[in-house]
Amino acid sequence: MFYHISLEHEILLHPRYFGPQLLDTVKQKLYTEVEGTCTGKYGFVIAVTTIDSIGAGLIQPGQGFVVYPVKYKAIVFRPFKGEVLDAIVTQVNKVGMFAQIGPLSCFISHHSIPADMEFCPNVNPPCYKSKQEDNVIQEEDVIRLKIVGTRVDATGIFAIGTLMDDYLGLVTQ
Amino acid sequence: MADKTMSISVPSEKPIKVEKWKVKQGAFVSQGQILFLYSDSSGNNSGFKKFKALRAGTILTIKVKEGDTAEPGTCLADLEGCKHPTVMKDMCAECGADLRVDERKKLEVAVVPMVHSVPELKVSEELAQKLGREDADRLLKDRKLVLLVDLDQTLVHTTNDDIPPNLKGVLHFFLRGPGSQGRWCHTRLRPRTKEFLESAAKIYELHVCTFGVRQYAHAIADLLDPEKKFFSHRILSRDECFDARTKSANLKALFPCGDNMVCIIDDREDVWRHATNLIHVRPYSFFQSTGDINAPPPLSDDKLKASEKNGSVLRQLPMLDSEPDKAGTGGSFKDKPTEDNLKEAKSTKVTEIESNAENKDINNLSNESSGEPDDPKWIETSDGQIEVEDSDDYLIYLEDILKRIHKQFYDMYDSLGQHQIPDLKFIIPEVKGQVLAGTSLVFSGLVPTHQKLETSRAFLVARGLGAEVTQDFTEKTTHLVAVRSGTAKVNTSRRMGEGKSKVQVVTPDWLWSCAERWERVDERLYPLQRGGQSSARRPPAHCSSPPPAPPPNTVAAIRKRTPSGRFMDTINPLLSFSSDDIADMDREVEDIFNESDESSSEEEKAITDDIDDEENIPEDRLLTLDTENSSQDR
Repeated sequence: MFYHISLEHEILLHPRYFGPQLLDTVKQKLYTEVEGTCTGKYGFVIAVTTIDSIGAGLIQPGQGFVVYPVKYKAIVFRPFKGEVLDAIVTQVNKVGMFAQIGPLSCFISHHSIPADMEFCPNVNPPCYKSKQEDNVIQEEDVIRLKIVGTRVDATGIFAIGTLMDDYLGLVTQ
Repeated sequence: MADKTMSISVPSEKPIKVEKWKVKQGAFVSQGQILFLYSDSSGNNSGFKKFKALRAGTILTIKVKEGDTAEPGTCLADLEGCKHPTVMKDMCAECGADLRVDERKKLEVAVVPMVHSVPELKVSEELAQKLGREDADRLLKDRKLVLLVDLDQTLVHTTNDDIPPNLKGVLHFFLRGPGSQGRWCHTRLRPRTKEFLESAAKIYELHVCTFGVRQYAHAIADLLDPEKKFFSHRILSRDECFDARTKSANLKALFPCGDNMVCIIDDREDVWRHATNLIHVRPYSFFQSTGDINAPPPLSDDKLKASEKNGSVLRQLPMLDSEPDKAGTGGSFKDKPTEDNLKEAKSTKVTEIESNAENKDINNLSNESSGEPDDPKWIETSDGQIEVEDSDDYLIYLEDILKRIHKQFYDMYDSLGQHQIPDLKFIIPEVKGQVLAGTSLVFSGLVPTHQKLETSRAFLVARGLGAEVTQDFTEKTTHLVAVRSGTAKVNTSRRMGEGKSKVQVVTPDWLWSCAERWERVDERLYPLQRGGQSSARRPPAHCSSPPPAPPPNTVAAIRKRTPSGRFMDTINPLLSFSSDDIADMDREVEDIFNESDESSSEEEKAITDDIDDEENIPEDRLLTLDTENSSQDR
């Protein structure tokens, strides 16, 4: 799910940036430091929309570095259990398939793929195919899945998905 | 908790009527899935109510039929909890349960990482067996086998050294290292690699199995196979290896039903623990100064050597630069050797010339052993590309070997009948054993006099190829493998040659090249020159790795009791050696230090020194074998 929320971040700035462009540098640094990161609580920070305030800089004793507390609004993406999302299949193997929902990786086990779909390793690229051959899921396909579990690490979030529910599976454009 | 069975009982106080089951017996249900529709007997027929599964699991038995009424408290069905057979990053991939929460319940069912490139994804033994069986069935149906392919020095040769940017047939790519700036890799594919993969892929399912890091392995696989039709995702790299020294530990995980159908090609025997289903290929070396950049730890001294030898590369490059460089873009990076390299060049200045000479020597040797006479030639073509003559044709032979193994396997499979899968671990040695079957060899000057024939490498190589080896001439002797002419055996054979049973006299190169190609090479290509001295007494790299275990008939060194009889004295290995032995050991250590580069210095010494001095290395090797034996004794 996407949220538009207020967040805070501290920017540590080297004294060489002290000059007329100082605030621009702080903003620029905020974008590079924050966008694309991931926290367990809010999920992935997709984009900073507005920078609300840049607080008074605090010079670090003994270093000369300065710390700016910055308040900003950002769009974040936080996956939840039970959420239904569209994903792009990245890898198909005998144990299941991997899919990507923007920055979020997701695994769907063979058991969570409808039983009538079978793994076909001999075709290139490998795919899951239903017996009537009318339903084929292979790499690069768009599928709709439901998240059944998430694992939040320091570096990112990983999700387990399923296709075993109504209206899930291959999305036909 | 997870593997316990739970019974689903009537969800209300009143009797209910089960209208429709939404699941079948034996089906896997996830948490929240609708199991059945029911109606209360209260008569309120506003619609059916749904009953949802409280947790994930398998429906074992359904005890109430559709349309039946059940009293409160009766059991409607048994639901077996999820066994978590597939686990991804400590999360069950079936029910989504977090398995890290239960710290005390650490006994995970899923332990087998079955997918090459995703070590976090694990499946249970049971599921792995099932998947493995499916794989095996599919392979048999397609009449294919599994081939594990090593990359470095088997199919490609990669260097991190600076090389001229306009070398023809060399591919360049950049690897971004974690944290650091990354490095440039320059890779040369072995001649005919594409054709080899193309034809091998028809009868084998190809897997990459390398000690390179994941990024490197995938980059090379991309170069070899841009359409992903050969390897697909079957790439196993260092990041997924269980053990930093051997690759064999991963076999069990990748092939849970046994490695009956697995064939391996690698230039290193030791990383597979001398598995019998390994085809030991001749290492491919293109960049003369670089060994295997991804060599496993036991070879780390080689790595040192390689970096030591950077100096020689620098020395070579200016020679190339002096040629008219029409590419224009050429000089940019090779003209600026890094500081490190410069320093190294200075420090190794003295040894530089020597090591360079040795490099050439190695090259000569490897070429000689394959029967090709000259150095790689650097020819500059009109479009500014430096073309290097590369006479490596090993893959032609390898392709043929693989075809023979495949044929033998399926011939045997067909004759055995259904449901019996022959084992490549026996078939491959058998195929190899047919190469020189029926021949009987006698060695002359090949095995040092102190060494037992049975422990010599040449003996093991010949026996592996199916040849018989005898100490002296017998009725059946067909070949004499002689290092030089003029020995007693050579003379005897010349005298015998007049008779009807002609003994062919060949150089050891003949044996090495049979071992390399797995075919009986024409003896006429390796005649023993009169008065000539063959330098190939020591087997080439692909035949010279230490034998897997001392042959059973070697007698362990007899250990003498010390007069004192104290245990402390008996355990001191130095006491069980004579002073000669210790002197020998000292010599061995010296040899290792002198032996800065493979065996070439050894060879030179053998040539220049007294010719009869035959005890340099092999004798020492015998000694180490013996000490091993005796230490096992204790």
